[in-house]
Amino acid sequence: MVETQYYIALAAILFSIGAVGFLTRRSAIQMFLCVELMLNAANLALVAFSRAWGDLIAQSAVFIILTLAAAEVAIGLGIIVAIFKKRPTTNVDVLSSLKG
Amino acid sequence: MVVFVILAVLAIAGALGTITFKSGIYSALSLVGTLLTLAMMYVTLHAQFLASVQVMVYAGAIMVLFLFVIMLLNESQMSGADPLPWVQPVAIAGGIVMAAALAFTAFQFKAPKNLETATAALQGGTPGVIGETLFTKFLLPFEAVSILLLIAVVGAVSLVHRQPAHNEALETTSEHATDDAYADEVSSSNPAKVVA
Repeated sequence: MVETQYYIALAAILFSIGAVGFLTRRSAIQMFLCVELMLNAANLALVAFSRAWGDLIAQSAVFIILTLAAAEVAIGLGIIVAIFKKRPTTNVDVLSSLKG
Repeated sequence: MVVFVILAVLAIAGALGTITFKSGIYSALSLVGTLLTLAMMYVTLHAQFLASVQVMVYAGAIMVLFLFVIMLLNESQMSGADPLPWVQPVAIAGGIVMAAALAFTAFQFKAPKNLETATAALQGGTPGVIGETLFTKFLLPFEAVSILLLIAVVGAVSLVHRQPAHNEALETTSEHATDDAYADEVSSSNPAKVVA
């Protein structure tokens, strides 16, 4: 049986990859994909801790997070499509009109 | 341990593919690979219900939505110089430091219980036991999430709702289309009248 530490370390690596991708990608959709990757790394850590404590609460929390991610994707992609209709690009360097 | 290493390598490879592919579709498909690998990992962690939900909701519904939007927008590849060229090396260095720090912290974790007894308490993470937790301890978050989903659906519809009066491009193209159709009708009906 694999110890919990290895799962947490893997979650840390996946989260860092997602964070690097979020900072380096310039397409809004690919940044979104990286956010999903980070969410999944957090889910993996939660499930691993759930097994370490023998408690199902963390697994229920992961279920709630999954639902939240679905709502987030629906809204986020809706916003991207709405912006794309006004300015046909998803490059976040171009879409900087909210920049202070 | 062998299974874990194989799954971990696949997950990291998928994650790296997600952030390195230029094309949005390849990125999304790499992420699908990572998500499916994580679903298999949930099975090894005795979370069977979450594994099936991960495949259905994440790898299925959410990623289909992503691919649908990527293909709908059909954007060209990012071109032009990066306005902030120093971001990439700094981000990669920062990411490596963060991964190392988090992994180091992870190995400080002391297992609170014997892993065998803790795993037995999960009862495999089947839908029955998860549902029992969801509808007792998690009843309020569960109901809150249902309202959140309703708001998300209404919000998504109102965001992409098309207002015909303001969409000039659509109006002009549709007018042209009707004009052409009218012209065709006239030109095709004229010879008929002459013959008659």
